[in-house]
Amino acid sequence: MTDRRDFLKIAGVAGAGLVLGLRLDAKTRPGAAAAPEFAPNAFLAVRPDGTVRITVPKTEMGQGVRTALPLVVAEEMDLDWAKVEVINANPGPDFKSMQTGGSTSVSSTWGTLRKAGATAREMLKAAAAARWNVDLKSCRTEKGFVLGPGNQKLGYGALVEAAAKLPVPKDPSLKSPRDYRLLGKRTPRFDGPDIVTGKAIFGLDVRRPGQRFAAVLRSTVCTGRPMAWDAGKALEVPGVVDVVKVPTGIAVIATNTWAALKGRERLAADTTWELGSAQDFNSADLETFMREALTGPGEEARKQGDAEKALVAAAKVLEAEYSFPYQAHATVEPMNATVQIRPEGAEMWTGSQSPNKAQATAAAALGLKPEQVKVNVALIGGGFGRRLGTDFSTEAAQVAKAAGGGPIQVVWDREDDFRHDLHHPATLHRLRAGLDASGALTAWAHRIAGPSILHSWVGQKTPSQVLAEANGALDIPYAIPAIRVDYAEVAAPTPLGWWRGIEIVPNVFARECFFDEVAHAVGKDPLQLRLDLLGNQGLVKFGRDEADIRRLKKVLQVAAEKAGWGRKLPAGRGLGLACHAYDGRTYAAEVAEVSVEKGQLRIHKVTCAVDCGFVVNPAGLEAQVEGGIAFGLSALFTQITWEKGHTVQTGYQEFPLLRLGDMPEVETHVVQSAEAPSGIGEPPVPLAIPAVLNAVFAATGKRIRKVPVDLSAI
Amino acid sequence: MPSYQLTVNGRTRTVDAEADTPLLWILRDTLGLTGTKFGCGQGVCGSCTVHVDGKAQKSCQTSLKEAAGHSIVTIEGLSKDGSHPVQKAWITEDVAQCGYCQPGMIMSAAALLKRKAHPSDGDIDEAFADHVCRCGTYPRVRKAVKRAAGGVK
Ligand code: FES
Ligand code: FES
Repeated sequence: MTDRRDFLKIAGVAGAGLVLGLRLDAKTRPGAAAAPEFAPNAFLAVRPDGTVRITVPKTEMGQGVRTALPLVVAEEMDLDWAKVEVINANPGPDFKSMQTGGSTSVSSTWGTLRKAGATAREMLKAAAAARWNVDLKSCRTEKGFVLGPGNQKLGYGALVEAAAKLPVPKDPSLKSPRDYRLLGKRTPRFDGPDIVTGKAIFGLDVRRPGQRFAAVLRSTVCTGRPMAWDAGKALEVPGVVDVVKVPTGIAVIATNTWAALKGRERLAADTTWELGSAQDFNSADLETFMREALTGPGEEARKQGDAEKALVAAAKVLEAEYSFPYQAHATVEPMNATVQIRPEGAEMWTGSQSPNKAQATAAAALGLKPEQVKVNVALIGGGFGRRLGTDFSTEAAQVAKAAGGGPIQVVWDREDDFRHDLHHPATLHRLRAGLDASGALTAWAHRIAGPSILHSWVGQKTPSQVLAEANGALDIPYAIPAIRVDYAEVAAPTPLGWWRGIEIVPNVFARECFFDEVAHAVGKDPLQLRLDLLGNQGLVKFGRDEADIRRLKKVLQVAAEKAGWGRKLPAGRGLGLACHAYDGRTYAAEVAEVSVEKGQLRIHKVTCAVDCGFVVNPAGLEAQVEGGIAFGLSALFTQITWEKGHTVQTGYQEFPLLRLGDMPEVETHVVQSAEAPSGIGEPPVPLAIPAVLNAVFAATGKRIRKVPVDLSAI
Repeated sequence: MPSYQLTVNGRTRTVDAEADTPLLWILRDTLGLTGTKFGCGQGVCGSCTVHVDGKAQKSCQTSLKEAAGHSIVTIEGLSKDGSHPVQKAWITEDVAQCGYCQPGMIMSAAALLKRKAHPSDGDIDEAFADHVCRCGTYPRVRKAVKRAAGGVK
């Protein structure tokens, strides 16, 4: 949550250019003299000309927060959307928790932003009522104006000074959803016009006067360190101005990016390394260790009944192993950050999903206090969890320090980005199902084995680790008498991070595919078995979350119906489905229609039904569903593998992301809900793979249990 | 350092840089035209697509020497005010997510529609085969191209 301590305050005069150099809206006129503003809280400011600046406390990375969050404020304030200008917050006393991830941007700010807007609206109304000397209750607001009981009408801009002098209401009334004019309607992306004209400024587009560019030569093995190097040939490259040692490697500094990259190439040829312990790490060994861990001791994530006993007693036991590889975030904009150090402090421009942490870690690297480091959050060319890490921004601070202060932009190239990603780790899954003589499912056991993201992230084992790594597996929603889900950690040396959909992606892939196996084994329709075992359950508690199984059942029914589940398909075509209650907050189901012909898999269509509570912007929701499905489908064919401690894959050539021609038609159905908004960025992702692979089974009778998919088997 | 002349968005520019410098970095670092994006530098993501004499070309795979003497159009020069039919269609279809890959996509779309006013789905697949959008804007890209079809002169 955004910290509320400084939530309500009156700021009389503008601090012009809150995010100097990063203003994205053409409507702002840089250099305009500071005029009085009405800014009752950190989220908004009304100017005398009636324009309203809204400050977004979360990072835009394509998920649409620079549209959705301002819409919430604008709705409560009754603004004219055309007069809204949007800027990004800077981490600091007003914005102490800007971390953006986990599909929480709307849900975590919804209450605060509504109140922020309502506060301003009530104060503007009160200012108008006082000016007209009429009863406050007889006034109303509409599209940036206060309207009085007669024909009085005043724009918000005209009320700036008067409103700023009024007391701040403690509990302003919030609008009823019935009266919404902006929320729940389709609003195109705020940054669209700047994006299509090339004006949008991403981290890599930041240009400061006198800026230099740097490329860092890093060991391809995470434990490696340079032992000796000769900078001579690098310095001969025209444009290269310096070569400096930093904790992560050796930085080549130049007047332009190309010279920095070229200089680095020369330097690489003249550098020797001590590679350290991780040089023995490889995927084949890890797989052996993971397979051993599938049957060794594990930590319990969920225990319901006695699954082992029930498996022994079962008339029939099914067992399967599922496998999911390391993955890369592969954002199209590679990591980068620009840093300038001045006598009084430092300034950073970067696309960060963790601006506060970027500020703290850069400050620590520079020997400064966090408040001495101003962090300007740039637009992000794809985050997906990668930019929750602050490795790249901290490194840029170190480079700037070593190179005399900057401004300096540290640029990663595509190979850096693949090699030094915070990869999402591989897992193996052992699933067992017990059936009684009638074919009823009596026991379910799911063992997950793999490296722990949480362990890597916090640097030590924590009690919640098992719940994090088993997310998506432990909350299997089906009513089965005995369930056991556990996790066995397997050590691996490279730094890890979450990607879009987190551990839920591999865990739900294994769970929903194996469930499909069970359905086919007992001769039941996979939809029917799911509906039967969702049954009449209501609220069910799983680990830290509680899910409403009725909502899950509903989305499953809607997706199946809209996709025409059960209809007759030509030979070689099939439908497959999957469903999940994401963190007990967002409910989603997907049905994939595929065909397999001559070893070619074609995904024709994915039908998705979601219930994520109230939908702030349906246009944004649909984009997230399409994008989430694309992200999930890409993972059918991508993997990162390790050899001698480094990634085999160094570019998109070896990491075949979905291309336009592979993209299926996506149909999105929203199950209307009166619940508060819950989140949509990640929930569509984990269902794509199991829906497709279950459809492949329906089409071909071949069960694929390993990602990346090997089509030669079918 | 050698000196080269090229036309960028209708303006003649003289740049002093090494012959092998990719056009991408001339645009971004020398001329300050950051709308053209760096995604891979390996010719496989399409983010750096510009028009060279009216044809879509990857600026990371085009050296300054090759670009010299030619007419280059970048996203900043596609129209004065975002009024190119492809840009308008992009807004109408609300294509962009993070937006990073989009200038390259738009430049490819504009070049495609210039050579083929009404492309088939297969033509569209082919024109974007070298473009990566990690955000998954593909369905809307296809819709936007179809919307703009026929409108590009
Ligand atoms: S940057 Fe040129 S194709 Fe990727
Ligand atoms: S919109 Fe983000 S990569 Fe395409």
